[in-house]
Amino acid sequence: MMRNVMAIMQRDVLSLFCSPIGYIVMAGFWLVTGALAVWNADAFGPGKPATLRDIFMWTPFILTIIVPAMCMRSLSEEYRSGTFETLMTAPVSDAAMVLGKYLAALVFYVIMLAGTLIYPLLMAAFGNPDWGEMAAVYIGLLLLGITFTAIGMFASSLTRDQAVAWILGAMPLMLLVLSVYNLVRRVEGWQREFVQQINIIGRFSQFARGQLETSGVVFFLAVAALFLFLTVKVVESRRWR
Amino acid sequence: MIEVRNLTKYFGQRCAVNGISFTVDEDTIVGFLGPNGAGKTTTIRILTGYMPPTSGTARVAGYDVLSQSMQVRSVVGYLPESVPLYPEMRVREYLDFRGKLRGLDGGQRQAAISRVVERCWLSEAYHRPIGQLSKGFRQRVGLADALLHSPKVLILDEPTVGLDPTQVRETRSLLRELAADHPILFSSHTLSEVEAICKRILIIHEGRIIASGTVEELKSQVGGERRVLAELKGPEADVAAGVRKLPDVLNVRVATDGPWTRLDIAAKRDASQAVSELAASRGWAVRELRQEQPSLEDFFVKAIIAARGGTR
Repeated sequence: MMRNVMAIMQRDVLSLFCSPIGYIVMAGFWLVTGALAVWNADAFGPGKPATLRDIFMWTPFILTIIVPAMCMRSLSEEYRSGTFETLMTAPVSDAAMVLGKYLAALVFYVIMLAGTLIYPLLMAAFGNPDWGEMAAVYIGLLLLGITFTAIGMFASSLTRDQAVAWILGAMPLMLLVLSVYNLVRRVEGWQREFVQQINIIGRFSQFARGQLETSGVVFFLAVAALFLFLTVKVVESRRWR
Repeated sequence: MIEVRNLTKYFGQRCAVNGISFTVDEDTIVGFLGPNGAGKTTTIRILTGYMPPTSGTARVAGYDVLSQSMQVRSVVGYLPESVPLYPEMRVREYLDFRGKLRGLDGGQRQAAISRVVERCWLSEAYHRPIGQLSKGFRQRVGLADALLHSPKVLILDEPTVGLDPTQVRETRSLLRELAADHPILFSSHTLSEVEAICKRILIIHEGRIIASGTVEELKSQVGGERRVLAELKGPEADVAAGVRKLPDVLNVRVATDGPWTRLDIAAKRDASQAVSELAASRGWAVRELRQEQPSLEDFFVKAIIAARGGTR
């Protein structure tokens, strides 16, 4: 099982770096993150605190578009090209295939994230940052990736069309992130408590402030596990059709 | 090696495979023949563990395709019809990846890859990206992949479709070679191909097996009459009358070509000798005299017409 997961992961990482999509996604993420950091957040302004909070404030929104684009090929392309058939007639379980592909997307995500390490390095060069807080921000970003990638994979498992997979992943994610972010300030009482539970921006900003909340970690991991499970079920169901 | 019993597959309301049963023994190469859309690919996909049957059972090398899918997959070498491959990978990378999925370890995997690369004449394409390869080479990559884990059974879906005549010939001779080591089930809609390589033939039409047997058995079922074609130099009326009087002759069709008379003779037995003796006794020169072999084509057409209920 583990050997198959690793083999599929390696192949998918290679495939992501062989396709223009991979580079466009990565460059797009760096470009937008950088532009927002410099122009909008003015994070490197004189006298500002040496914190990553402002730089990554909008990152969850960017990731709702970027992560589904990173995942859209994952299963859709296998369906479209027919290589799904060669995979599913090799002794590979559905779960091993989904897990391998998921880990490949995560490896790509981590590499993409590593590109933003330039900001803490710059902060360290010109200021005196709090390393603990910075580590918390990166843990938050990693958790966001773990969750969004699982949702992107699920979208990709639904269709053989990459563009459809991207929209199916990005639209609900964006809606969820934006609407909950706006809603949370307008409701009261138990409703507010409920909305806060699924407020991705809110949960991420806890990490951005340097707080490592167990409930946040559990939330992101649980959502990821749920969507991975659903992806395996969709892949299983394809052969019954 | 392959045992299929009452296999049925529905896609929604549409019945793709309708209660078929057959077996493929060891050391044999079986052609699975039928017009497009007859249910060949569906049957093959069930046998390779890609889709479950609606009802019925299939066993490959003793393993049930439904409950022992993983075991089936590890003993079957399968080449799907469209030969799906990853265009961005090199042949070397692809075979290495497939070897890992097959559970072959480092040394074992290298040995297996060199074996199949040699067997499928892939050495010149070994370092090239699959996306740049011709259809013929891609077919060989697919076949190399199917052979990588020394499968107990080879299942090939239309292995020669889309190839040029030289490639078709190469693939056929490769299949004949492979048949010495593995039982092979391969599908085709080309009769001559099946006739050229197979020991046994299964004919499927609209989800049912309408005939099965060896090439000779099927040919002998075409009909009792034997045909002889002859061209004799003599007056048309005399020749035709003389031939019609020969024993066992059922029907003669006559045509002329200058001084020659063309005859198409249908008889209960082979009439060549009687025709030759008649020509000798009358002093007619003989330009052509041959027995027409009943072709599988005839059988195929007849069987399908019969399955449709006699209407053409």
